[in-house]
Amino acid sequence: MGSGIAQWFTQQMCQVELVDNSQEQLQKALESIHASWDKLVEKKKLDSANVAKMKSLLSIKSLDAVSKDADLVIEAIIENLEIKKTLFKNLDAYFEPHTILASNTSSFPIELMAEAVSDKRKPLFLGLHFFNPATIMKLVEVIQGKDSSLELCQKLYTWFDARDKKPAFCKDSPGFIVNRVARNFYGEPLRIVETDDENKMKEVDRILKEVGGFKMGPFELMDLIGIDVNYSVTCYVWEAYGQEPRFAPHELQKQMVDENRFGRKSKRGFYKYD
Amino acid sequence: MTNVSFDNVLINFGFESKKSKKEILRSNADKSVYMDLTCYDPAEFYSEFSNLKGSFAALFCDEDKKIEIHFKEKNPLVISKLEELGFKPVETTIVSCGFIFPRTIVQIINEAYYALGEKVASKEDINRAMKFGVNYPKGPFEWSEGRELYVTTLLNELNSIYPSGRYVPAKSLMLKSGN
Repeated sequence: MGSGIAQWFTQQMCQVELVDNSQEQLQKALESIHASWDKLVEKKKLDSANVAKMKSLLSIKSLDAVSKDADLVIEAIIENLEIKKTLFKNLDAYFEPHTILASNTSSFPIELMAEAVSDKRKPLFLGLHFFNPATIMKLVEVIQGKDSSLELCQKLYTWFDARDKKPAFCKDSPGFIVNRVARNFYGEPLRIVETDDENKMKEVDRILKEVGGFKMGPFELMDLIGIDVNYSVTCYVWEAYGQEPRFAPHELQKQMVDENRFGRKSKRGFYKYD
Repeated sequence: MTNVSFDNVLINFGFESKKSKKEILRSNADKSVYMDLTCYDPAEFYSEFSNLKGSFAALFCDEDKKIEIHFKEKNPLVISKLEELGFKPVETTIVSCGFIFPRTIVQIINEAYYALGEKVASKEDINRAMKFGVNYPKGPFEWSEGRELYVTTLLNELNSIYPSGRYVPAKSLMLKSGN
């Protein structure tokens, strides 16, 4: 997801350094961003002079070579709290005092990650949660942790709002806004169908699209996201809210995961894919 | 509440208490009744009233006027009457308390109210997040605007059928609905 975020920021004419442990991954990401820009020029969605400028603004770096005076660093690594905390501890020591550190986590409390940085950095530490693909989805959740400066959060909100994004300001809490409020778009349909009944699922998907105006039905969407991924987010939010019944996972989700029916990626989920 | 009748058919629209809905069915025992049961469980009504021949959910319908409808006894005249009145009936075979769309949407609305009550974010930002983060056609508070009473009625109904704690309305929602 980091490369999508890097691409979006570069498109705002920011100077961006994309960082990864693997040089090979970085090279691939750079090539794919360039290819995407070239395509957008072909489609006349971007101006070729602007793209030339963007290409000069975006570079790839290893962590020990990145500019120490960056204004903003966004972490988008694996969702593992300990690994993230170790990284933030190193980032805190490496960057200049004015650098803002942000996490693109979709699950961990900002407060817990902020423990890894110095007291001086804490006001400059917050959550910036992007949605995939970051160049297309307009939402950024701007998450204020316990010690994040309100002024900084507001500044970033205004900055995104003035560009191609729709920011939403939210307090540090499990699932933030989207991953919490969207839970029952899946949880309730699962309880309406109750069992592994494909015809019922088709019907629920159809009604929610036709009557509700949703772009995708819950079952086809879970198949696309990955039932395992969706199930683990459900369990995380449920546990984080002390097993609150509103977030309880459904038996059918577990059954699917146990049967290796993950959705499109395993060619079998709620539906079959050949 | 509006009633439309023709031949031996009565179509009943609008929000009413469960008691009033049942009273309408009782006093129209000689008619085939098709009734808006958005906030209730059609199964309960079907089992009690053999003159109830179909049910629909129009209380959450949008400008496009699409409504879920379930027929126990299909009547093309009912469909054309609903169409005449500007509705676009979409048939379903699933009988579920709150149908499919209202039941799903009230749960999303309820969670949005819980988040609002806990000061996680403003109404405006919650609407924005759902529209631009997961492509919802409307934000939860845009859906519930002016319909808070229907939302709490359906949640309470679901809560009485499934008393697991899943359907307890948020305080901030109850205040808004005047319940």
